[in-house]
Amino acid sequence: MSTVTTYRPTTLRALRDALADGAGGRLVIAGTGTAADWGGAPEYDGVLDTTGMSGLISYNPTDMTVAVQAGMPLATLQETLAEHGQWVALDPARAAAGATVGGLIATGDAGPVRHTFGTLRDCVIGVTVVLADATVARSGGHVIKNVAGYDLAKLFHGSLGTLGVLAEVILRVHPRAAATATLAVRCDAATAFDLGARLIHGSLEPVAVEWCDGTLLARFDGTPGGVEDRLRRARELAGSDATDTADAAADAWAVVGALVRGADGDTVVRIGTAPDRLPALAALVDRAAAEHAVDAAMTSSPFAGAHTVRLRGGAAAAHAAVVTALRTAHPATTVCRWTDGLRAELPAWGEPPPAVAVLRAVKHAFDPDDRLGSGRFAPWF
Amino acid sequence: MSWAAELTEVLGRENVITDPARLRTYECDGLTGYRVVPAMVVLPRSAAEVAAAVGVCARHGVPFVARGAGTGLSGGALPVADGIVISLQRLRRIVEVDPVNLRAVVEPGVTNLDISKAAAPYGLYYAPDPSSQQVCTIGGNVAENSGGAHCLKYGFTVNHVLAAEVVLADGTVTTLGGDSPQLPGYDLLGAFIGSEGTLGIVTQVTVRLLAKPAAVRTMVADFATVAGAGDAVTGIVAAGIVPAAIEMLDNLAIQAVAASTQSVYTLDTVAALVVELDGPPDDVAEQFEQVQEICRAHGCTKVLVAEDAEQRALIWTGRKAAFAAVGRISPDYFVQDGVVPRGRLAEVLGRIAAMADEAGVRVANVFHAGDGNLHPLVLYSEAAGEHDRAERLSTEIAELCVELGGSLSGEHGIGADKACSMPRMFGEDDLATMLRLRSAFDPGGLCNPGKVFPTPRLCGERPGRYRPHPLEEAGVIERL
Repeated sequence: MSTVTTYRPTTLRALRDALADGAGGRLVIAGTGTAADWGGAPEYDGVLDTTGMSGLISYNPTDMTVAVQAGMPLATLQETLAEHGQWVALDPARAAAGATVGGLIATGDAGPVRHTFGTLRDCVIGVTVVLADATVARSGGHVIKNVAGYDLAKLFHGSLGTLGVLAEVILRVHPRAAATATLAVRCDAATAFDLGARLIHGSLEPVAVEWCDGTLLARFDGTPGGVEDRLRRARELAGSDATDTADAAADAWAVVGALVRGADGDTVVRIGTAPDRLPALAALVDRAAAEHAVDAAMTSSPFAGAHTVRLRGGAAAAHAAVVTALRTAHPATTVCRWTDGLRAELPAWGEPPPAVAVLRAVKHAFDPDDRLGSGRFAPWF
Repeated sequence: MSWAAELTEVLGRENVITDPARLRTYECDGLTGYRVVPAMVVLPRSAAEVAAAVGVCARHGVPFVARGAGTGLSGGALPVADGIVISLQRLRRIVEVDPVNLRAVVEPGVTNLDISKAAAPYGLYYAPDPSSQQVCTIGGNVAENSGGAHCLKYGFTVNHVLAAEVVLADGTVTTLGGDSPQLPGYDLLGAFIGSEGTLGIVTQVTVRLLAKPAAVRTMVADFATVAGAGDAVTGIVAAGIVPAAIEMLDNLAIQAVAASTQSVYTLDTVAALVVELDGPPDDVAEQFEQVQEICRAHGCTKVLVAEDAEQRALIWTGRKAAFAAVGRISPDYFVQDGVVPRGRLAEVLGRIAAMADEAGVRVANVFHAGDGNLHPLVLYSEAAGEHDRAERLSTEIAELCVELGGSLSGEHGIGADKACSMPRMFGEDDLATMLRLRSAFDPGGLCNPGKVFPTPRLCGERPGRYRPHPLEEAGVIERL
């Protein structure tokens, strides 16, 4: 097929009709395109553009729940919620680039506050999805506590557009803290892990602990008095290397976002490990980057076991060698941005997870003809 | 060889129960109104033995039901007459407590509270705390996605489990989740947790541990009206405060508690709120004052602040013992577990009271007010022939919650108890889609059959009439 059909539905009905239209053939689901590159490169005859489904469905600040069409950008939603002193407790770097709520579920992406709030899997309380055969299905609902039926939202978390289209999403929201402050400490990975652990074990309850490019950032949210007290105690634990001016903190957090997003020509990978792997991973990144003459930077939410490594400069083959070294040590690695030519050097995924047979069976049960995102998880399935 | 002989050979005679008298121990879980004697009970001692037992079942097409402590309240561990029960009570090893990585690895038969006890020397604990935490097992918690009084702030089992080793319906063993929550691929672990034993049997669980909060403050606030207490809850939440817990007890529940334990609750108050804040000391102190002001602004008649750990324990003992305590004021009772949007608490309580009057049955209310999770206790006397109307009222209350935009169950599960009500909450396509997931894990349908999903055998040929969601009626959402 030479022409690519594009569907841009604005309602659930139109979305269902688009999927019912067999002329579309194999479809790739696209939001604002901030994660189009993740994993394998899908083959498709048509594009299902979700950005037309960007409306607010219902918001009841008293119940602290909000229902949106899945194509709504997270940043837009946060603006609405901020008017009521609330937010979705998620701060992914991609939000600044327009990432949609549905796309953030499909990628399982998150930012530094994952340390406390996890990912969208921990905030989604209901979804409406449309499957490849145009079946419309709901799970969950509008209440934060609900165990009735299977939780399809979890299944779609990390699905990268291969199980169905997220059409509507119901989220639990959190109150915005009255005060917030960040402590920044220049240190190596081992010191960062140790200091982070002392903040946690000292019950200082940082809402985020991030080690980015040689700086540990610990953010505290709470009441004005509480935040001040905890910042003071954290500074005592950190010793003389700590800075905590608001400007420096804002700059430091901006560095985290920019690093995760990367830029043209970069390779960006996301890695999941146990928390205490941070120092070893940091050493491995340095060693591999030096060996292959690539500039590497990393940011980690160590206690959430999430790391992002950005590779810059050097040939595609050099990027491939570094990614291979990372994958060998840590199979739970996703390539989120591919430098030019890298795809030819490297399979999309490394060693499959132990439950790959179940992943395959689920894919087959939801999309037996492999119509959606075909090849996104190749070579696993 | 027959499957029974094969299981006996695989597990050893001493680990298999076939004696009818002993089998009866397993005929029900905490939902005692439903009873089925299984054909056999097996007591494996390891994950390998669980897998071997499931393998035999798979080869012979024998249905199997996993069972932990049997404290479930929805019949999730109800046996199947021609099937086996796989008890996980002998898999009770705490494999590892890892304070550096803030996690513990445990076998499914370990009790919820024992995880926190094992973590305590490191200043850590396991957050989900169902009322039955002294006896209920982590395997059952995973199956039911158990919550507890503190899940308003801390979330549910699904938010605290990192990995699970599971035996699938064909007898193979795999791991869902892993070292980090950031793993590529579908969140199979998240889908598995709360699947009520219908997708497989968990044989090892890796849970997250949290540092104990530096400060905890707990109070009981009395109110002259249920509506006043409900409004106070709304006010606390609107102020941007996320308490660790907000619980409500009505007068009947308070009387029941007073009849059974040393009670700190005011005997003649119409309603009482238990509010607990935890976290860093200064934050907690500031917000604790604020909560008291909000309660006073909503007509609170008396505030009792726990002076020490002992008094706090008394408050919680009363709250957590409330279900059992109801036995002191009524020979029999049903517990419901519906959820309503928090803003509709006062409304739903009013309607439950009216429905109870009409049915001529008493209903005590003790529940998680912060997240709208009701636990109406429908009191009745079997001997006085009140069973049927009490059961009817109980079902009507659960379905009322759905009508008000909520859920049939907040934490007890659907199980055998509410499977026939599922069509009130979900349409045919919703349920069919969930069953696709089931078929991916368990194509033969051997794993805890008859739970969660309505079947004609269970519910009669005609499922309950579907009622539109209130948002659908308002035209806000559409069902195609």
